[in-house]
Amino acid sequence: MEKVLTEIAEITADPYGYVAGLKERKEKKVIGCFPMHIPDEIIHAADLIPVVIWRGNEPVTWGHAHVPPYDCGITRSFVDDAVRGKLGFMDGMVFHVRQCLQAGEFPFIMERHVKPSYQKVLYLPALYPGDVMRDFTITELEGFKTSLEEFTGKKISDDNLNKSIEIYNKNRGLLERVYEIRREKPEILKAREVMQIVWSSMFMLKEDHNKLLTELIKGMEAKTVEPEKDKIRVIPVGCLCQTLQFDILDLIEDLGMIIPDDDLYIGSRYFANQVNLDGSPLGALADRYLTRTPVCPTKGVWQVHWGDEAIKKMRDNDARGIISIIVKYCPPHACYYPDFKSKMEKEGINAIMIEMEHEIITLEAIKTRLQSFVEIIGGV
Amino acid sequence: MTIAIGVDVGSLCTKTVILDGGNNILSYDIMRSGHYYKGAAEESINNALKTAGLRKEDVGYILGTGYGRGAISSADGQVTEITCHARGATRLFPRVHTVIDIGGQDSKVIGIGDNGRVTNFVMNDKCAAGTGRFLEVMASALSVDIGEMGDLFFASDKNVEVSSMCTVFAESEVISLFAQGHKKADIAAGIADSIARRVVGMVGQVGLKEEVIMSGGVAKNAGVAHAIGKRIGTKLLIADEPQIVGALGAAIIASERI
Repeated sequence: MEKVLTEIAEITADPYGYVAGLKERKEKKVIGCFPMHIPDEIIHAADLIPVVIWRGNEPVTWGHAHVPPYDCGITRSFVDDAVRGKLGFMDGMVFHVRQCLQAGEFPFIMERHVKPSYQKVLYLPALYPGDVMRDFTITELEGFKTSLEEFTGKKISDDNLNKSIEIYNKNRGLLERVYEIRREKPEILKAREVMQIVWSSMFMLKEDHNKLLTELIKGMEAKTVEPEKDKIRVIPVGCLCQTLQFDILDLIEDLGMIIPDDDLYIGSRYFANQVNLDGSPLGALADRYLTRTPVCPTKGVWQVHWGDEAIKKMRDNDARGIISIIVKYCPPHACYYPDFKSKMEKEGINAIMIEMEHEIITLEAIKTRLQSFVEIIGGV
Repeated sequence: MTIAIGVDVGSLCTKTVILDGGNNILSYDIMRSGHYYKGAAEESINNALKTAGLRKEDVGYILGTGYGRGAISSADGQVTEITCHARGATRLFPRVHTVIDIGGQDSKVIGIGDNGRVTNFVMNDKCAAGTGRFLEVMASALSVDIGEMGDLFFASDKNVEVSSMCTVFAESEVISLFAQGHKKADIAAGIADSIARRVVGMVGQVGLKEEVIMSGGVAKNAGVAHAIGKRIGTKLLIADEPQIVGALGAAIIASERI
């Protein structure tokens, strides 16, 4: 188990080097997908390497010539990486431009300054009131598939697609098993380790990741841990499409809290819901996209309230509070948050919002907020 | 051993309060924190002990709070200034439900429930505009002593808007207002109102519930306190020594732990 965790920590410490090395070893082209909704099973079925684009750890420099400083961290970091040539190993890029206002900027910037060999823009529906949106989504995915076929010169058969979906479903199932064990014994993994495990799945080949997870799960199942009953269980919640600064997760734990589960994209949201393999593969991928839970501020699902889902998760895990983590300048999350906050207040839930940024991380101030939160829950 | 001490190590000042077994204030001390928080905390504790005629051996529990709470070597425990200000405020004014605390480098608004415990709070995040340090810089730009600024406010007869919320930019703005021929008193009133507008936004996030206390060093500035009260539409309660509210809260919690 420790060996796998060390390997994952090393891989996530340098995703650029890892993906460049992977491309060389596999002799395959790499396609970067902007998080959070692109069904990269289709890219996998085209015998390409799909990777979910990530936020780098360096300050934004040249990127500010292309995007304003009031864009979110991953937007600015990705554009900065791209225009500085750090993403030269990416042969293609895919964007879902209805996800947020900022995502709409990428195709133009990339086409003009980076010129990847392949670029595809998806218009997945942000609202889906009826069957017409399912048809629309399937048509979009068909166009996506066709564009990949044109890029590679090879047809993607339903059989290929089903095999890829199966591999992805297996990955989702294994990640779910990791979470299941963590729910039973939350002390078994540090929160940063859990995030690294999910994040590595986003840019490793799923076949390789599945092997790592299988070994990890064996170790987790065998390991006994001493329950830390005095720790306060909390659930971090957020649709942020990027990794948190791991220091924030460490801080939560250092202050006497423990995380048995989460509602984060680089967390439980990534592997939620399998793709049904009974019917047409593109229809099944569309159905997964259109599934109403987990609720996401980038997709309008009025019938389900995110706050209710978060409270359910909190109660299911015997947790005593919810920590909302918001990325500064994330319009979808900022728009949803007032509703979320009202729900927490109405239901009398202990909840706090922590805002994170790309460059500045005022850890001392965040520490005071989180410690006060612990004191409120603890009745000091 | 029923003596309890609360030490609030803030970015500008360190405050200590000593309570006896009946939670009566025996003494308190306020001094500049300087750059060596650990030393400032110990010095402040010793000053307060000396005033009370006590020795360290007489003390049952020392609780640290404030930004330097982790640096107090003799502390038996630490609690955030949010919790401590709430506890101190309810001890001074039992019907208080909102605390506006403006210290050296941060400002916060704290909501308090009927049980005297914190329900919610907001803090300024990264800019120190509207805090004690901001006022110091503004006093320097106006070439007045910081103690005079509060009185200057009441000599104002014209509204001058200081719109900037960045300390450095606000300083440039004040210089520019001087150049335009505005009076010191009007600019001082504009500065006080700029702080008030900022605080109103924070009060809105927490939700105004009376009674409202203002604590922290900036509460000593009558002009700022008046401007905030006017903006939020209620009279602010201010303790005789508003700087020690956090340390008092810390001492109360310390006494509960003896």
